[in-house]
Amino acid sequence: ATEWNASVWGKRRAFTEHVEKLAELVSEKTDGEFTINVSYGGLSKPRENLDGIEIGAFEMAQFCAGYHADKNPSITVLELPFLGVNTLEEEVAVSHAVYDHPAVADDLGRWNAKLLMTSPMPQYNIVGTGDPRDELAEFDGMRVRATGGLGEAFKTVGGVPTSVPATEAYNAMESGVVDTVAFAPHAHLSFGTINRADWWTANLNPGTVNCPVVVNVDAYEALSPEHKEALDSSVDEAIAHYVDNYNQLLKRWEDVLEEKGVTKVEISDEQLDAFRAKAADPIREQWIADMSAQGLPAQELYDIVVTTLQEQRAGN
Amino acid sequence: MDSITIGLWVTAGMLVLVVLGMRVAFAAGLAGLIGLFMIFWSKKGFDPEDIGWAVTVAVKTAGQVPHSKVSSQALSLIPTFILIGYLAYYAGLTRALFEAAKRWIAWVPGGLAVSTVFATAGFAAVSGASVATAAVFARIAIPEMIAIGYNKRFAAGVVAAGGTLASLIPPSAILVIYAIIVEQDVGKLLLAGFIPGAFSAVVYAALIIGIAMVFKNVGPAVKGFTWRERLVALPPALPIVAVVVIIVFFVYNPFGDAWGTPTEGGALGAFVVFLMALARGMRWGEMKSALIETAKLTAMIFTIIWGVLIYVRFLGFADLPGAFSDWITSLTMPPMLILICILLAYAVLGMFMDAIGMLVLTLPVVYPAVMALNGGEAVAAADSAFGMSGTMCAIWFGILVVKMAEFCLITPPIGLNCFVVAGVQPDLSVQDVFRGVTPFFIADGITIALLVAFPAIVLYLPSLAG
Amino acid sequence: MAGSAAVLEDDSLLSRLDRTLLKLESFLALLSGIGVFALIAMAAISVGGRNLFNAPLPGYVDWIEQAMPLIAFMGISLVQREGGHIRMDIVVSRFRGRALWAVEFLGVFLILVLMVMLVWGTYSHFQRSFDWAAPMWSRDSSIDIGIPLWPAKLLAPVAFSVLSVRLVLQLWGYGRALVLGLDNPVAVPMIQDVAEQAAAEARQLDGRE
Ligand code: NA
Ligand code: NA
Repeated sequence: ATEWNASVWGKRRAFTEHVEKLAELVSEKTDGEFTINVSYGGLSKPRENLDGIEIGAFEMAQFCAGYHADKNPSITVLELPFLGVNTLEEEVAVSHAVYDHPAVADDLGRWNAKLLMTSPMPQYNIVGTGDPRDELAEFDGMRVRATGGLGEAFKTVGGVPTSVPATEAYNAMESGVVDTVAFAPHAHLSFGTINRADWWTANLNPGTVNCPVVVNVDAYEALSPEHKEALDSSVDEAIAHYVDNYNQLLKRWEDVLEEKGVTKVEISDEQLDAFRAKAADPIREQWIADMSAQGLPAQELYDIVVTTLQEQRAGN
Repeated sequence: MDSITIGLWVTAGMLVLVVLGMRVAFAAGLAGLIGLFMIFWSKKGFDPEDIGWAVTVAVKTAGQVPHSKVSSQALSLIPTFILIGYLAYYAGLTRALFEAAKRWIAWVPGGLAVSTVFATAGFAAVSGASVATAAVFARIAIPEMIAIGYNKRFAAGVVAAGGTLASLIPPSAILVIYAIIVEQDVGKLLLAGFIPGAFSAVVYAALIIGIAMVFKNVGPAVKGFTWRERLVALPPALPIVAVVVIIVFFVYNPFGDAWGTPTEGGALGAFVVFLMALARGMRWGEMKSALIETAKLTAMIFTIIWGVLIYVRFLGFADLPGAFSDWITSLTMPPMLILICILLAYAVLGMFMDAIGMLVLTLPVVYPAVMALNGGEAVAAADSAFGMSGTMCAIWFGILVVKMAEFCLITPPIGLNCFVVAGVQPDLSVQDVFRGVTPFFIADGITIALLVAFPAIVLYLPSLAG
Repeated sequence: MAGSAAVLEDDSLLSRLDRTLLKLESFLALLSGIGVFALIAMAAISVGGRNLFNAPLPGYVDWIEQAMPLIAFMGISLVQREGGHIRMDIVVSRFRGRALWAVEFLGVFLILVLMVMLVWGTYSHFQRSFDWAAPMWSRDSSIDIGIPLWPAKLLAPVAFSVLSVRLVLQLWGYGRALVLGLDNPVAVPMIQDVAEQAAAEARQLDGRE
C-alpha cells in the first residue's frame, strides 16, 4: 500500500476541495491501495510547503505563488494585475498552460516539485467602508490591505498599501487602519471583512493569487504505473468538482451582499481602462524586464497567458 | 509500530527526561526530533538502509521550525510586554501606583493589603509577566505591611497572589502564547482577560477584608490621609493611565475609530513607557541592563516555544491530537464533567510545572479535544455542548486555562511567585509564603468556579467586539 | 524563570574560555535587546506615519517578522550559561557530588546532540533560501515587500553554533567535576534550590535601584 501525506492549511473549505476529491478518487480507483492523507497545518506552515516537498517530508502540498515570489518567480506571471481573467474556468486554463511550460517545470524542479493542478481563485475585489469609491480619483490616499502585485497596482493610482495580517484585517478595517481590503469572496467571508463593509467592487477585477498543488518528484516517480495512472486521471475530475463547488459559493456571495446591505459598486469602462493603463502596463513591463534578467522566458510566459485566454474565449 | 504507538512512546520518553531535570525546551525538541525520525523511518518499513534518509528528513523538518515559528508578528508582543515591565520599573511607576492606592483605599479593614491587590492590578495593565510583578511589589509593599503590624506570612501571600493578576489583565504574555498555539485572535483574547482579571482582584480584596474583620491582628486599616495627600499622590501615577488609555484604544477600540491594531498598541505602550523612563533620568547603563534582562527572558520563553513546537510538528505527523480528541469525544461522561476533570488535571500538573511549559506542552493535544467536545470549531452556540460558538469556546477555555496556570504560580511545591517573594524578603521562608498564600486558593477556586458556571463574565467584552 | 545561577571562576584555561565566550554571549544578548527596542520604535513610526502623514511604514509586518529571529535566538547561549532555561529540578536537586555531575553531564550531552542536529537542520533551512546566482542571493522572500529571508534564517544556525560551543565547555566543566570529584567546579551554573535562585534574582533587582 502507498500512503501519501498532503500538506494544506486552515480548515477544510472550498479552497481545498480538489485535494479532498483527488484523495477520494485515487483511493476509489486503487481499492484503497493508494491513499492520500490531507493534513490541515499539522505538517508545515503554508509558506514552507515547498521546503517540505524538497526535503521529502510529505508528498503533496498546496501553496500560493505570492507567499514567496523568489521561490517560484516563473508562476508569478499569473498574479500580475489586470490579466483579464473573469471566471474560474479561465483561471484553470491559463494556469495549466503556464504550468506546462518547460521553464516553469524547471523553476519548480529546483524544489523537487512537479506541478499537478491549480486552485483557481476568483478576482480579489475590494470591500470598503464609507462612501463607495467608483472613480480613480477616489483611490488617491486610500489605505488598502493588498499584498504583492495588487498592492503595487493600487499604488499607481495613489492608494496606500498597508501591511496587516489576514487575521487582523477585520480589526484593521474596524479601527480605520485600512479603508479597504482586497480578498477573494470566500476570504471576505471567513475573515469577517464583509461584516464591516459598506460596498464591494463587483467588476474591478484587479487580479488574483495563484495557488498550485504540487507533488514530490521522487515520490511521484516511485509510484507504480497503476497508481500513477490513478493519480493523473483524477486531476480533471477533482478540478471540475472544485470549480462546481466554488461557483455555488459565489452564488451564495450575492445573497450575503444583499443580506448585509453591502452596495455593489460597478466601475465604468473608462475608469477601468484608465486604471489598467496606469497599473497593468508598467507593472507588467517591469516584471518582464526583471524576470528576463533572471534568465526566464518572461515575454513568452506572458504571451501564453494572453493566447490561452483568447483561445478559451473563442472556444466557448 | 504505528504512528500512535510511536507518539505515545516518544511522549513518555520526553516526560521522563523532564522529570529527570532536563531543560524542558530541549527535552521537547529532542523528543520531537526522535519522533520525526521514527515516523519517517516507519514509512520505509524500518529498513536499515533507509536510516540515513530518515535522519536527514527528520533533521531538516525539525530545522524549519525555529525560524518558521518565531517569525510571527503576534509573537512580537511577548518581548514587547517584557520590556514594558522593565521600563516601567525604571520609570518609577510601581512605587507611584502603590503610594496612590495606599492613600485612597487603605482605610478599609486590611487596607494596605487591599491597596496592594489593586496596585498590582493597576501595574498588571502595563506588565505582561506575573513573576516580575510579584518581585517588584514584594520589595515595595511587604515592608510597609509588616511595619504597621501585619502578619508577615499574610503580607507575603497577598503579594504572591496579587502578582498573578498580571497574566489575566492585558497585556499578558501567556495569553498571547495561548492565542498563538490555538490560532485564535490575540486582540479578542486580551479583551476577554480584562473582566476575569478585575473580577479576580475584587474576589481577592473581598477575601482580605473578610479575613481582616474576623482576625483583628491580621491587617489593621490605615486611616488619616488628608484629601490633599490623596490628590498629590495621583499625578506620579498618572502616566500609567496614559499607557492604559493607549492600550485600551488599540486593543478595545471603544469608539470605533481607533489608532491601530492590538499588536501596534502593545508596542506603542512600551514606547511611551520608554519616554517616561527617559524623562525620569534613565541612563544608558540602566537601559542596557533592561535590554539584556529582556533578551534573556525572551530567549528563555522562545526556546520553550520552538522546542515544544518541534515536538508538536512530530505530533502532527503522528496525528496524536486527532486520536486524543476522538477518544475524549467518545467518552460517555457529560462534557461539563470532562471539562472539570481537565481543569483539575491542570491543577495537579501545575503543582510541578511552570505555567508556560505546562500550556505549551499540553494545549496542542488538549485544545482540539475541548473544541471537539463543544461540537467543533465551527459549531453554532445553539448546537454546542457548552452553549457557545466555537470561537467563543476557544476564548473561554483560554481564560480558564490561563487562570489555572496562574493558580500554579502560587501552589506548592513549585510555585514560582512564592519563591520570588521569599527571595526578595530574606526573613521570609518559602514555607511562610506558601502558608500565607493558602487563603487565596479559596479565592481562586471561587473565581474559577464562577468563570465555569457563568461564561458571560469572560465572553461579554469579546462578544461586543463582534 | 531566567534567574541567573552563580558561575564560579578561577585562572584555569576552562574558566578563561568561559569568560571569553561570555563576552560574545553578552554582546549577542544585547543585540537581541536592541532588536526588541527597534520593534517598539518601528511601531511608533508606523502608527505615527499612518495617522499624521497617511504614510504607513511600507512592509511593517515583513520587517517585524525579520526582526523576530534576532530577538528570539540571540540570547539563548547566555541563558544556558547561567542555567536559566526552565527545568523541573525536584529530582536533580536531591543529588550531590559525583551523582549530580553525572546527571548534569548527561543532560548537557543530550542538549548538545540536539543542537548539533539543529545547526544542521537550520543551516539547511537557510541554504534553501539562499542562491549565489539570484538577485540579492535570494530564493525566498517576504510576502508583502519581498525582503530576502536568508539573513534572518541564518541567525538560527549562528546562535545555535554559539550555544553548541557553550555546551562543549559545560561538558568539560561537568566532566572535570565528575572525574576529580569536585565540590565547586568552575564554568558551570551551580545548582541552587529554587529559593536561593529567587534570592539571587532579587539581589540583582536590588542592585539596580
Ligand atoms: Na498584564
Ligand atoms: Na505550582
